[in-house]
Amino acid sequence: MVITVENLVKDYGSARVLDVEDLQLNEGINVILGSNGSGKSTLISLISGLLKPSSGNVLYNGKKFNASIRNHISVLVQKPYLFKKSSYENIISGLKYRKVNRDEIELRLEKYLDYLDVENLLNKKSHWLSGGERAKIALLRTAVLETEVTILDEPTAAMDIESTFKAEVLLKEMASKNRTVILVTHDVFQARRIADYVLFMDKGKIIEMGLKDDVLENPKNTLLKQILNK
Amino acid sequence: MFEFIKEFSTNYSDIYPVIALSLRVSLTAALVASLFGLTLGVITALHEFKLKKSLMRVTNTLMSLPPVLIGLLVYMLISRKGPLGSYGLLFSPSAMIIAQCALVFPIIFGLTVSSVSEAAKDIELTCITLGAGRRDTILTILSECRMQLLSVVTAGFGRAISEVGAVMMVGGNIRGKTRVMTTYIALETGKGNFEEAVFIGFVLLFISFIINITLYRIQRRE
Repeated sequence: MVITVENLVKDYGSARVLDVEDLQLNEGINVILGSNGSGKSTLISLISGLLKPSSGNVLYNGKKFNASIRNHISVLVQKPYLFKKSSYENIISGLKYRKVNRDEIELRLEKYLDYLDVENLLNKKSHWLSGGERAKIALLRTAVLETEVTILDEPTAAMDIESTFKAEVLLKEMASKNRTVILVTHDVFQARRIADYVLFMDKGKIIEMGLKDDVLENPKNTLLKQILNK
Repeated sequence: MFEFIKEFSTNYSDIYPVIALSLRVSLTAALVASLFGLTLGVITALHEFKLKKSLMRVTNTLMSLPPVLIGLLVYMLISRKGPLGSYGLLFSPSAMIIAQCALVFPIIFGLTVSSVSEAAKDIELTCITLGAGRRDTILTILSECRMQLLSVVTAGFGRAISEVGAVMMVGGNIRGKTRVMTTYIALETGKGNFEEAVFIGFVLLFISFIINITLYRIQRRE
């Protein structure tokens, strides 16, 4: 699914926190980079329909957001809430909400569980999980939905390096078959490893965007150059 | 002590229907008030609207409303000349249930809003991002906050079963029909029968103890 943003603005009172004139997010992995408070989370909240814009539009394959489009989008927020249940029940919760049948649930579990080695966590209640384990379960809960658009806000921030690499393999799988993944991260190296497209944001605006190599190898913006040289 | 209870129970077998009616009226009232109070409480916790603060101030005031005032209002509503007079509810267990519902609803509603407000928003966000509908979202919040809500319902039931003013006014304390434990205590104290009044008082305490023990065990298991 191709997502197009037109003159998207978000104001809180007199403060303008986001102002994006024109943006296209394509099938593949779209990485959004930017420092704290640059508007990354606001942008993905608007794209996912969790926030309403002050003005402007977000179009999904040319159509405006509606209930049917919501079914094609899944979101993993920065601090995901895990239900007070086992990891297994957490992972399948979204599938149950979407009325996916039992056989299909088992097939999806079989397909995705191996990516993050969580078999030993399946019977553990969520409050016994470490931060990294919680992040894995939350990511799998989103991955098994297999939505056309997946929006992820720093999904690997709490993971160790080994788990991060495994999660990146999963992210690539999530972006396969013409699906769109929008990934917010602070990790430039992660962007280099998995991105197809990169957007760089600062002060609520998109400063640079394009194919990964164009943005990360030949940055024009001074701030991005500084970040990439660190 | 046990001998005394055994002897007392045999001599005063008319107190069993009083205990049973107390439980029936208060449990029904707490159940009905919970049904509406919990659902509306969760919905209110999830939404920000203009008059929310005013609504919560009114609710907090109603939480401490004197039972006799509730009794008076319900009495006026269901007495023969009242708008619901034709239903013949006055001096019946149904009238007592209505009065206790009115007493307990603000408590359950108000405590639900304050106890689930913070968690409810996180749970709602998660449910939306996973594709849950409105009904599933509310059911999930109720399930996730079940321990807090169980405490809320218990508080509501405690208020209902210990209340005397409202049930006295709308129930009439009629022997074998609307006499409950609290009105029984009030009546027997008035007659100078302290022994019976104290016994029923202990029954009330015992019920409260059982409820608290059960709640504690459920919380530990969770």
